[in-house]
This record gives sequence, structure tokens and C-alpha cells, in this order.
Amino acid sequence: MKKQFPSHIYELSINVRATWQAQSTSNAGSNGTNRLMPRRQSLADSTETDACSGNIAKHAHAQLAAEYLEAAGCSLCPACKARDGRRAAALTDQPDAKNLSIEWIVRNCGLCDTHGFLVTAKNASSDGSTEARQRLSKHSLIEFSFALALPERHAETIQLVTRVGDSKDEGQMLMKMTARSGEYAHCVRYKCAGIGLDTDKWRLILADEEERGRRHRAMLLALRDGLLSPQGALTATMLPHLTGLQGVIVVCPSTGRAPIYSALQDDFIPRLCALESETCIVAPFETIDTFNAAMQDLIEYTHPALPAACQRPSESTAFARNARDQLA
Amino acid sequence: METSSLTWLAADYHVPATYSCRVPMSSQTCALVSPSPGPATVRLALIRTSIEVFGLPYVKRVLFPHIRAMSVQIRPPERVAISPQVLRAYKVENTTETLIEAPVSREMAHAEGPMTIYLEVPLSLREPFSQVLSMIGYWGQASGLAWCQSIQIQAPRPEQCVRSLRLFPEQVPARPFFSCILSEFRDPEVAWEEVMPMIGAGHKNPLRLDVYVWPLALSQEQGSGKLYVRTSFAD
Repeated sequence: MKKQFPSHIYELSINVRATWQAQSTSNAGSNGTNRLMPRRQSLADSTETDACSGNIAKHAHAQLAAEYLEAAGCSLCPACKARDGRRAAALTDQPDAKNLSIEWIVRNCGLCDTHGFLVTAKNASSDGSTEARQRLSKHSLIEFSFALALPERHAETIQLVTRVGDSKDEGQMLMKMTARSGEYAHCVRYKCAGIGLDTDKWRLILADEEERGRRHRAMLLALRDGLLSPQGALTATMLPHLTGLQGVIVVCPSTGRAPIYSALQDDFIPRLCALESETCIVAPFETIDTFNAAMQDLIEYTHPALPAACQRPSESTAFARNARDQLA
Repeated sequence: METSSLTWLAADYHVPATYSCRVPMSSQTCALVSPSPGPATVRLALIRTSIEVFGLPYVKRVLFPHIRAMSVQIRPPERVAISPQVLRAYKVENTTETLIEAPVSREMAHAEGPMTIYLEVPLSLREPFSQVLSMIGYWGQASGLAWCQSIQIQAPRPEQCVRSLRLFPEQVPARPFFSCILSEFRDPEVAWEEVMPMIGAGHKNPLRLDVYVWPLALSQEQGSGKLYVRTSFAD
């Protein structure tokens, strides 16, 4: 049955079990050898399993989100326009860097607003040549877990490949790379209510609801694409085969944390479905097309909610109203 | 600040994937992790999350005096596996103070069983603190996703909780318990401005460091990974 999502969303989570064949999207370096090491993670059940870092998933999502944001006409800061991964922190080299503020960044860059940034604090130099700088930061609104292979359901094949060395003298060199296949448990959480806000103080900066909606749609589009078309390292020659995608989308319409539950557990879909309530809408999917249909509904019909602290009194939650009443 | 009648809240967190709570003073480029967050991390998470739920003025005036002074107990998950990971990260270059990309090593933990946070709160503030506990969504880094499964009124069993070495009982069977440095608020009177510092204002460090011991004994070493299993200090 098709799930009806609420028009406004505070937060959503996606808990999936994705089946990838012959992938090498996240690796642990070569350790000075000619073998590219796969990423491994010890699990609490004393097994060791294959893993893909959340960093690489977030990096790929940010690249895709930047494209969608530009296509939707959302502004990006000069650093994000150039796809500089440091985002607003890269602007500290600019001559007018002292004018940087959280308000300017959130208003003028959809990617810094959604994926977060960190401009580190700096003390003034003793000779007065450089000024002090206040720390500016925003936490990412989208969070990716490590993707962990199910211990009994993954395999690895070593592939011998040739590579051209750095210079002509080095000639051709042999490298060992791994192609890994398996079912991977992966969780993503997206706090859309934080769009356009200074989330350190939960203060609304971007009051333009249409712009908030455009940024929200760009995030969802990139999220959908990232799961339907896996990205990461070595995809130029080892693009993974996606052969299965099942899981649950959980949506919180008002202040609340969308539950996340690991797909390492075989019963993760019924357990999450059992949490369904008015404040927790659960949409399970078993195939890539049902996942796509659910995401399409979210993209077309939903809008980011405002957090309780930023709402008008008539719209806010009972807790936030009580808090305000106590202060008054 | 009302402290007449207090009650314990116990919040169980499911940590579905890996998480990484860095040990204070361990290098950011070679980060060691603890199996659960420390008391200062819990207090800071309460402040951050309560601002999200109730807004800054209410937190500063009503909740913060309790958050800085309340008793916090942490029961780690039943089993925790820790393994090092090589990752690409940005780090601040010392001389120029610019960000550069570099490979770093950071341990990541994977847990089985819930992690429980116990707070001793005034009865009158039980509901707001319950809501704040239910809203905490990660521990350590943002990739350390967590979900609050349940909140109950329940007192902690100290022998199952993380404990400062200074308060460690004398009669405990010798075991390879996990221990490391953790941070805690300097005292129950830490000021709001010390926790939320502004540039140019010279405030004292609101944190102090102490050695803590976990009721987690080393059970297995596997390559560079280690597995710890919860073992009560009383057993």
C-alpha cells in the first residue's frame, strides 16, 4: 500500500540493506605496498566484516547535492561553486573574509547550510598582523553511518591490475585490488528542519520558505540517486552492481528523532514497522522501484518543518509552549 | 534551582552502526576512542539538544543549572568491538592555520546491546528531560548515529557503570578493564558563558580531566581490533 507522507517533515531516516556486487567504493589505503587494502570493521559479535565509510557516502552526496542545488537556482558560496570540500572554511583566504558570518553563509550557500561547515577560531597574532577569528560552524543536517556487510553474506576477490607509474622510468606496475560483494546494512538520517537555521542556537536565518523547500528537494534527490546509483572510490573502473535494496523510510512530521535500527538485524523491517504512530510514519520497501516511488513522493509533496523554538506560539509543541510560558 | 525531590531517568540508546567518541587529549590525527561517551559529553549533548527542543533562553535559565550539576551515570553496551580506520580528513595546519587534507587514523566502535544514560533530575523537570533524552541522535561524531529506544524511571547499578578511578572500589577482582581519560564539568557551578564561550572573553576551562574505568573487560584481540565484554565490577 502506498504510504501517505505528511506535508511537513522534521526529520527522516533511511534504514537499508543494499546488495552490491564487485565494489571497492571505500578502502583503507595501500600501507606502502602494491595492494589496496579493503576497509574492515570488527563487530561486537566478534566477527570482522567489510565496511564502507560514511565519509565517502557523505562526500558523494555533497557533490550530487551541489549539482541539484545549482540546477534549482539555489545560490552557493564561491568555495562550493568550485566544489571545494572545505566549504565556507575555504573562504577565509579571501580578502573580505572578516565579513564572514553564520547569517551570510546560511543565506548564500545551500550546500554549507545543509552539509555543514567549520571555520576554526584563530587568535590574533602578537604583532597585530592578523586579527582574531571567531569560530563559525554548522553541523551537517545529513548523517551517514558506515555501511557494514552482513558477516555471513559477503565475499572478496583479489584482482590483479596494471597501473602506469608516476614517471616514465617506473613503467607499468602491478597492483592488487579487491572486488567485494555482499549485503550491506546502512543508515542515513536527514534533519530537514535545520535548513536555513543556525543550529547552534536554533535561530531561523532563512525565512524564505520557497528557498528552504528547494534546498530540501535537492537533498532528497541526491539521497535517492546515491542509493540507486552507488558512488565512491574506484567507480571509474569498478562501478558496483546494485542487485537489491530493501529497508524502511521513517518520517517524523514534528519535533522528534526518526528511529534508526541496524539492517544487520534480520528483523529490522518488522521492528521498525512496529514503531508506526501519528508522530512516526513508516514506509517499508522491498525493491528499488518501491524505494524510488516513496522518495518521489517525499520530493514532490514534502516541505521542511520549522523547529518548535522558531514556530509561532499557535504552531509549536506543548513542551515548547510550556517552556515559553514559564519564561514569561 | 529545585533539588528537593529527585528521580533517576534511564535512557537506552541503540547504536546501529559504528560510532567514535574520541578520548580527550588523544591526537585528532590518530584518535583513540572510548566505548561510550563520558559525563561531559553527555552534559554537552543535553545542552545542544535541549536548545533544539526548547530554544536557548529556556535552556540557559531553567535547564542549564540542573544539567551542569546533576548526577550522570553511563552504562556501556554489553559488547563493544573497537578497530582502527584510516580515513581522509581535514586538519588545521599549525603555522598557517589553514585546512589541509590528510590521511588520519581514527578508531571506530561497534556495539551490541543498548548503551544506557542515567540522569538524576528533579521530579518537576522529568518530562522536559525525557524529551531531551529522546531527541539525542548521535554520540561522538555525526556518523555515530544513535536512537533512544526507551526511557524509564530506574536507578543505575553503580557496579555496571563507568566510574572515576578515584571512586573505584578497593575490592574488585583483577581484570583487564578498559580505562582512559575522560572529561567532566569542572564543578557544579560552571557558568553558561564558560560552556558557550565568545571570542575575546577570557573564561576558565569548564572541563577537568580524570581517569575513568569501564565495566568492560578485554575478551578478544583480532588483528588490530579488540573486543570488550561488559563485566560488573562486583563479579
